[in-house]
Amino acid sequence: MGDDTDVIFIDSSVLISCGRRESTRFQALAREARQRDTRFRIPPAVYAEVTDEPAVDAYTTPASPVDAAVQEGWMMVTEDPSYEHSEVSAVMDQTRSFIANASNRSEDLVETTDTQIVGLALESLLADAADSVTVVTNDIPLGEAAASLIPQYGFDDQQVMWRTGGEFVAELGEDFVSEFE
Amino acid sequence: MATRDRNWEPTLDTGGEAFDILGNARKAWIYTYLRHHPSTTIQAVVEALDIPERTVYDYVDELKAAGFLEQSNEGRPAKYEANEIHLELAEGDATRQITPELIEAIARRLRDDDIDVYIDRHGLDGLAVALAYTREYVDGGVTHQIMAREQNISAMEAGVILDALRPVVTA
Repeated sequence: MGDDTDVIFIDSSVLISCGRRESTRFQALAREARQRDTRFRIPPAVYAEVTDEPAVDAYTTPASPVDAAVQEGWMMVTEDPSYEHSEVSAVMDQTRSFIANASNRSEDLVETTDTQIVGLALESLLADAADSVTVVTNDIPLGEAAASLIPQYGFDDQQVMWRTGGEFVAELGEDFVSEFE
Repeated sequence: MATRDRNWEPTLDTGGEAFDILGNARKAWIYTYLRHHPSTTIQAVVEALDIPERTVYDYVDELKAAGFLEQSNEGRPAKYEANEIHLELAEGDATRQITPELIEAIARRLRDDDIDVYIDRHGLDGLAVALAYTREYVDGGVTHQIMAREQNISAMEAGVILDALRPVVTA
């Protein structure tokens, strides 16, 4: 009884797109979190990636808005995946292969940190902390990995969803340069 | 008016114009705007863009002379449309492909600081490479981290440019 818990994970590709040049995308994300009455989860590897010392000052990083969102309570950085469930490391390994295959690249080009979001999503389901999970990413191979691999661990397809940023919140997919629409 | 063959060999003049448009974001903007809004008058172009009228007239004439634009109607007021160009520009030993998408990416630097920074840092070659990655990206063939590692740039920079160029490669 009660509402189903959908836990939503957001990855770096979406956070980077939201952090670009004082865009209003973060505000749109905040509204979405409020409407859903939820806190978006950010994997520690994602947090590290987006708050890393910028190699190039000229780009605007999402570091400040992400920290603000955490302070305001609509985003939270999760713990590292717990390897209590061996399935978690297994699905992360599978995700590496999946992405390497999808991109026709060597697995050397995919790091474990890239796959952490899939491990954490599975962990939420295994730990019964969620009835369903949503992975929000613009990295299509990563989203497809989540949707196709996680159900293999004993869950329905409907329990695992992935969305691009623009599918999750329309404003995230809008063009900054409106004149060319 | 005879049907224009759109796959002509670039003449010396056109080579000059192709080279010019790569370095002239406002010209690139006019071409791109007309490509997205065919059969538009110069007046409408001037109103839509923040470019002085005189400049728009001059640039339209130059682009027309080089075959990038053509008048789409008979008589006045003249309306223009863009030709789908695909040129090879010889630069020393190398050739550069000039496509409408590359021109659009250059045009966008007027409004998108991230593209502007990327071109400053990586040049037009870097921009062309990033466009190729963006096509792969929207087709689901690559992640931003893979691009970053292959191109030896930060994940942040890869993520930014892929996001900035996505609208260029998605119709």
